[in-house]
Amino acid sequence: PVTAGSIVVPYGHVIGNEKWRGSEVAQRLQGKIRLIFEDGLGLVDFHLSNRTCILLISEADLVAGDEFKRRLVRFRNASSLRGIVIVEKTQISDQYYLGVQKLVVLELGMVLLPVANQGEASQLIIQLVSFCVREQSRDRSANPFLRKQRAQLAEPAVLQAVQQIPGVGKTKALLLLQQFGSIHRLCNASINELEQVIGQTVAQQIYPF
Amino acid sequence: EHSPSLCILADTREICSGPEVISCLRAVHGLRVQVCSLGTSDYIVSNRLAVDRLFQSELQSPGNRNKLSQRLQRLQGVFERICVIVETDRVRPGETSRVFQRTQYYDGVLSALVQAGIRILFSSCQEETAALLKDLALLEHRKNAAIQVPTEPEGHRRDILNFYLSIPNLSYGAALNLCHSFGSVAAVANSSVPALAAGARLSRPQAEELHRFLHYDFDPQLLPQPLQAKGKS
Repeated sequence: PVTAGSIVVPYGHVIGNEKWRGSEVAQRLQGKIRLIFEDGLGLVDFHLSNRTCILLISEADLVAGDEFKRRLVRFRNASSLRGIVIVEKTQISDQYYLGVQKLVVLELGMVLLPVANQGEASQLIIQLVSFCVREQSRDRSANPFLRKQRAQLAEPAVLQAVQQIPGVGKTKALLLLQQFGSIHRLCNASINELEQVIGQTVAQQIYPF
Repeated sequence: EHSPSLCILADTREICSGPEVISCLRAVHGLRVQVCSLGTSDYIVSNRLAVDRLFQSELQSPGNRNKLSQRLQRLQGVFERICVIVETDRVRPGETSRVFQRTQYYDGVLSALVQAGIRILFSSCQEETAALLKDLALLEHRKNAAIQVPTEPEGHRRDILNFYLSIPNLSYGAALNLCHSFGSVAAVANSSVPALAAGARLSRPQAEELHRFLHYDFDPQLLPQPLQAKGKS
């Protein structure tokens, strides 16, 4: 029921469900992004990329009852696409929001973003599209929240960790690491070996640690 | 309704910035809230999920961008799953309710969060935030990821916890698990990657990172200069 076949979205385009033709959202999107209308998208309202799509829930849907919930569940069961649900959260539909959030985010594991009206929805879709395009072009550095792998020297961290052992300060930590090399070997050192590096008292103190 | 062991760790900063969240979790939802110095996130809800509480205004102002991205990137190094709760700003007494002006920048931040796989929840007040935290904790409990070890080690164990906490990219929850599952630091240091993953409830890559750290061969020549100089004096 989602779609007949898999939808292929041309690079930088958005495919919209025929039912949105002429609507306020569509009018505001046109001119800003390349929007193509297609019939038979089933449950989906807009396809942003081959793996991301949008389901739009209006204020009227929310107030009318549980039909939209069945639609979301059917989508989740039938599709492996990443579904972003955009919901119209207005003064009238506000009371339903928490329940919808619990269903969509916590139970279905989808993304839910509230907007106040169709105008805001179109602005949000434009931003989502621009991030979809960047993702497809593998421009990861454009996203400030994606973790960048950085090689970092572990020396300062290892030194810090060894200083957490009671009785060991910076000087003794450095001595211990110069002698034993790694935390693993330090842990397996005998009390005699420790005494040779840092003296009897501290060795007896840190050995049981 | 749920087991009494349901536990959430809260950062000490939240005592000031979210007192009603904490008292609501305790009084209304009956959860055990342990306040500790988490540093990384505002809340830790399970062995793998961290939650940050953000104000809507923080997502609105481009001035916060660097701080926010650094914080969330760091979280991603430590936790498998991250959730942000976007809370509506409180209207201060005497202030007329401000109309929320949605900006293109705000939509861009939301899109970036979605793309990065960070879960977003919206809350209108601290009470709602508390309810959302409880729901998340309950969900993680059902998925068998809940924090189920004592959260307040004492005496000697406290020292050992501090040692684990100084290991980079190891979460507070993982450090607690290490304290609880292994008799000594030596036992941890001599464990295999699968044993570390099971004992600390870490994912495979995280356990590998921990294993690498414990076996890391220290070279004093590679210390940053000021550290080295002070160490030798």
